[in-house]
Amino acid sequence: MRKIYLFLFLALVLAIAGCSSGDDTEETGGSVESGDSKELIIANGQDIISFDIHDHNNTSTEAVHVNMFNYLVKNDGEGGFTSDLAESWENIDDTTWSFKLKEGVKFHNGDELTAEDVKFTLERVANDDTLREYGNYKQIEEVQVKSDYEFDIITENPEPILLNRLSRIGSGILPKDYIEAEGWDVFLDNPVGTGPYKLKEWKKDDRLVLEPFEDYFGDAAKWEEVVFRSIPEDSTRVSELLTGGVDIAVNIPPTDFERIESTDDVSIETSDSQRVMLLILRTQGDYATADPLVREAIDLAIDKQAIVDSLLEGTATVTRTRVTPGNGGANEDLYGQTLYDPERAKELLAEAGYEDGVTIKISAPNGRYIKDKETVELIATMLAEVGITAELEFLEWSAFSTKRSDKSFDDVHFIAFGNSMFDASNALISLTKEESVGETDYDNPQTDKLITDAIQNMDLEERTKQFQEAQELIAEDRPHIYLYQVEGIYGVNERLNFEPRLDEMFYVDDITLN
Amino acid sequence: MKYLLTNLLKTIPVLFLVTLIVFLLVRVTGDPVSLMLPENATFEEKESLREALGFNEPLYKQYFTYLGDLVQGNFGESLRYNTDAFSLVLERLPATIELAIASMVIAILISVPLGIWSAIRRNSFIDLFITGGSVLGKAMPNFWLGIMLILFFSVQMGIFPVSGRGGLLHLVLPAIALGTGIAAEMTRLIRSSMLEILGQDFVRTARSKGLKEAIVINTHAFRNALIPVVTIMALQTSTLIGGTLITETVFAWPGMGQLLIQAVNLRDMAVVQAATFLIAVFVIVSNLLADLVYRLLDPRIKYD
Repeated sequence: MRKIYLFLFLALVLAIAGCSSGDDTEETGGSVESGDSKELIIANGQDIISFDIHDHNNTSTEAVHVNMFNYLVKNDGEGGFTSDLAESWENIDDTTWSFKLKEGVKFHNGDELTAEDVKFTLERVANDDTLREYGNYKQIEEVQVKSDYEFDIITENPEPILLNRLSRIGSGILPKDYIEAEGWDVFLDNPVGTGPYKLKEWKKDDRLVLEPFEDYFGDAAKWEEVVFRSIPEDSTRVSELLTGGVDIAVNIPPTDFERIESTDDVSIETSDSQRVMLLILRTQGDYATADPLVREAIDLAIDKQAIVDSLLEGTATVTRTRVTPGNGGANEDLYGQTLYDPERAKELLAEAGYEDGVTIKISAPNGRYIKDKETVELIATMLAEVGITAELEFLEWSAFSTKRSDKSFDDVHFIAFGNSMFDASNALISLTKEESVGETDYDNPQTDKLITDAIQNMDLEERTKQFQEAQELIAEDRPHIYLYQVEGIYGVNERLNFEPRLDEMFYVDDITLN
Repeated sequence: MKYLLTNLLKTIPVLFLVTLIVFLLVRVTGDPVSLMLPENATFEEKESLREALGFNEPLYKQYFTYLGDLVQGNFGESLRYNTDAFSLVLERLPATIELAIASMVIAILISVPLGIWSAIRRNSFIDLFITGGSVLGKAMPNFWLGIMLILFFSVQMGIFPVSGRGGLLHLVLPAIALGTGIAAEMTRLIRSSMLEILGQDFVRTARSKGLKEAIVINTHAFRNALIPVVTIMALQTSTLIGGTLITETVFAWPGMGQLLIQAVNLRDMAVVQAATFLIAVFVIVSNLLADLVYRLLDPRIKYD
């Protein structure tokens, strides 16, 4: 028995000795003043999904990929499109776009980028309907290679937002020869792109490490090493930030703002995001919400600004449209606006014949969005004040998504939509007659025509007007009641100069030391 | 040997049942396709992905396909990583085992001395303190304890790193968070088991022979008190695995627990199935081992 104790005691001593001798890990010592180390550590809530850039639709995965792969063009939002791999581009006719590539661009394995790589990449995602990004690229009919550096992209129909499509998830250009010779499995383990950084190490659900690519065609990489850590628990991520373990932490819960702001050397940075919270309403059938008066009453009964102020510490902007500034076709007259008039809501209900009140069912995910459950509960309280009884149903995210794809929600459901396409079409297409079947069943021929025309309209000015008008009609008809546009909230070590982007990407070379 | 063989054979229906239950649970609770595609994917896109992944087949057919593959050692492909699910789980196993062993070591280091001490000083203030503490330790949820440990030892004191897997330093806090509940359980058990033994004739005989108290306690009493402790250690394996699920998430520890939780969230069916299968094997094997050790410690125990 003594022997066992002696052994355990020795084990303890060894463990302590091991601890005090210090490990080779960067977190040790954990002081916030990490100085001007050329290593950048960013903490995400989850690991990247995959290196198959066509087979995910995850913004935080793309946020890492953009440092390893290049698009043909970059979308700077209101700044328009800027050159990336493509030196120049031109819209020849309604369905043909002509591109010229930069010369001398190298992949991480030394291969040179040619038009064949572009053809290989875009045609794969445009033709394989099992890929998760297929739906956003199936509009591309063919890529015609004209020379090593010149090619045309032919679309099936007029495609005014082809450039939007080419500057987002699924459009990083891949090395054809490498993938054809080695196979996808090898590529997924040893991804090769044209970006300023290449993969050094990926420990799944732990860390992904990037190192500079010496032969990058643009400005040389600024960081000696970039680490993306995955830390699912919010409070752990905040603690890592506070101790200097990471430089940037994403998705800071509003409840931690004060803790961060009151700590030296770290602060909160926010940025508008593409995410808009909304209620989706049934506009036909036996549902109470089929009555436009009831829909309007619901809208007027909810004090959206109060939700933003009380639950989100002000980190959101109320809106009456999903197409927010920075997107093609945005209607800024509806942005930053909210209607709140509980007295009028009561009148509307009375007009609709519900003097004694009405009951509706609201379904919402629980734990998917910041304060989702609290928000819906607050909405229910506000509705109760005007005589609408809300029956609440909270679902875990995957159950919620299943129910959503089965289109089996009742009167109302609560959800957030993003928009990586930076265009109104992506936000409004679900309200066309064809797409809204079983969900909102929204049917306004005027709106429908405006949206379907605009989607294929190559006259950008007229297109914008059509979309703006459609948004006004939607705001009146209320198949969706938009609540607010949420902000991306980042905790940042003050040694950095970091401005979060609308698209939530981490272009690490835009992040600099102070 | 025969005992071992028959018991190993008995595990087969258990494992079979585990695969069936997990298979059904994963499928009735959600649909991976709706999670895989963007919110605005069209119905046709969902259908074609469903078809490609074989989710359009009737459930029983899907199950038999899965069983057929399983017998050949194929657990299917992860939807998230597009690679073999079983090798994904195996990749993570070392991190989880490391954490589990460290937690067990901590649990033993805490519970053995405290359990014996409180038994010897029965009904004293010390005893009260230790039994009270063990109730508290058992009641504390390990995610809460984990967050508190981080706040105190990492954020306030700056002694240990907050999260991740690196050297021994990274192991300390998660192992304490996970080991505490087990230590509490074991302390109580060692105490009551020691008390029972201390009241028995052979201990009295040993004492009356004039043996030193330390020898009586260490050699005579503790050795015999150890038998139920071994059982509880094996039974704690399942607690330990359940605990790693939560603790790994709190400490961003890249083990099997975190993999499993993310797989459940994303309805990554093959990974959920592979991981739960492996966990079931673990629990079964540890119980078998407990029986064997039990027999070694006390030759009077016979199995038929």
